[in-house]
Amino acid sequence: MKPFLALVKRDLTLGLRRKSQIYQPLVFQLLVVTMFPLALGSGAKTLALIAPAVIWILALLASLLTLDQIFKNDYDDGSVESYVLTSYPLPMSVMAKVLAHWLLSGLPLVLFSPIIGVLLHLPASSYGILMLSLLIGTPMFSFMGSIGSALTMSLKHGGLLLTILVMPLLTPVLIFGASAVVESSLGNSASQPLLLLSGLLILSITLIPFAAAAAIKINLE
Amino acid sequence: MTKSYRRNDGKLNMHKQRTNALLRFYHKLGSPPSFYRISGYFLKWLLLIAIGLTIWGMYDGLVLAPADYQQGDSFRIIYVHVPAAWMSMFIYGIMGVCGAIAIIWRMKMAEAVMLASAPIGAWFTFIALVTGSLWGKPMWGTWWEWDARMTSELILLFLYIGIMATYSAFSEDSRKAARMAALIAVVGVFNVVIIHYSVQWWSSIHQGSTVSLMGKQHITWDMLRPLLVMAFATKFYYGYSMLKRARIYLLETESHKRWVQDIITEKKS
Repeated sequence: MKPFLALVKRDLTLGLRRKSQIYQPLVFQLLVVTMFPLALGSGAKTLALIAPAVIWILALLASLLTLDQIFKNDYDDGSVESYVLTSYPLPMSVMAKVLAHWLLSGLPLVLFSPIIGVLLHLPASSYGILMLSLLIGTPMFSFMGSIGSALTMSLKHGGLLLTILVMPLLTPVLIFGASAVVESSLGNSASQPLLLLSGLLILSITLIPFAAAAAIKINLE
Repeated sequence: MTKSYRRNDGKLNMHKQRTNALLRFYHKLGSPPSFYRISGYFLKWLLLIAIGLTIWGMYDGLVLAPADYQQGDSFRIIYVHVPAAWMSMFIYGIMGVCGAIAIIWRMKMAEAVMLASAPIGAWFTFIALVTGSLWGKPMWGTWWEWDARMTSELILLFLYIGIMATYSAFSEDSRKAARMAALIAVVGVFNVVIIHYSVQWWSSIHQGSTVSLMGKQHITWDMLRPLLVMAFATKFYYGYSMLKRARIYLLETESHKRWVQDIITEKKS
């Protein structure tokens, strides 16, 4: 457990020193949200209707901005090779990287989401479900992104390829996450999509670190 | 008997001769020069059978089969649409299996088959989408409907594009690029199942029942037969096209090897 925590701590320290990576996705979200009422015209009802979808898509896009960074910097300075060479299992290192990435990019999105909700007139009853669904869903962005980042870390401009690879794979997360918010805004129980979302998260935790580790090994050949 | 070929320690002498021949054939297929040679025998026949079956299936489906009592003649598009949709999933499955083999055993031929399959699968997916939308216009009154099958087919097309994009992104090292693409294919195969069911679930809450292609109506043998013929025709065409592409891939990636140069000088002389 010690190397795991050390890796998380290192990434958090590095991330907190470069604060732009934390607040820029949030500013991006805020900017895009501002565009919606401007483009739609001033109709509060329409906004509330599309709010769950917009919030979830924005969360997806905002995390896509930072996904390629999971391994990119470590590849450039050679740290990735040391993860492979040490006796510590590579999937666990991947897990630590993903956790650190989520704490730096996913968690701020979750905490920021109520503000976006207010701007989009999301019904008051669904804020809890909104944050809960994002709390379960955004780690999967980081997990799936770890595969994409491991594949594209050696490319100069891998960002677009990563988006093409990762986005279709994340459609189930978007479906269940957004529909949980939709259900709760309609006054229904959101437990079914939330449970399915949790199931996907458990599947991601157990399988994706191995896939990402395989991708790293192929990429370093 | 099928299990015994792994043990070549002499304890299973009875089957040794026969199983060794099989094993030899398997190993031969795994080596590029033999694959190139052996696949050369099949190419012509695969293409001929595919063309023959297509002509039969098309004539049977477009002329002989009775018109549908509800949809009239426009149902006949299923003889293109359904086989293409089947192939889009079938080929993705093959790519997943070959991708796993390529990653685990690093067999070059598995990489070749997987990469050769990708564009064919993508085109079949594209054909399924286009014919589906052509059929949707007169039937549903819209070119595109976000129903479960069309949506998951569209996502499948994105997955195909992702695999091909991965391969082309690492152009400087083709073996590495192939294994990267293989990894995406394997991850995708797991995901395709989840995507399929989540999309189905999503469409069931967002809209009521959609018109399904077959519905509950029973299909008569006269209508089913051309469909099956076309299903086989597309399989044979896939076999032909995939082998052809795999052979070109081998010539390209092994162009510095002796056997490729031998073939080139043979062709020239």
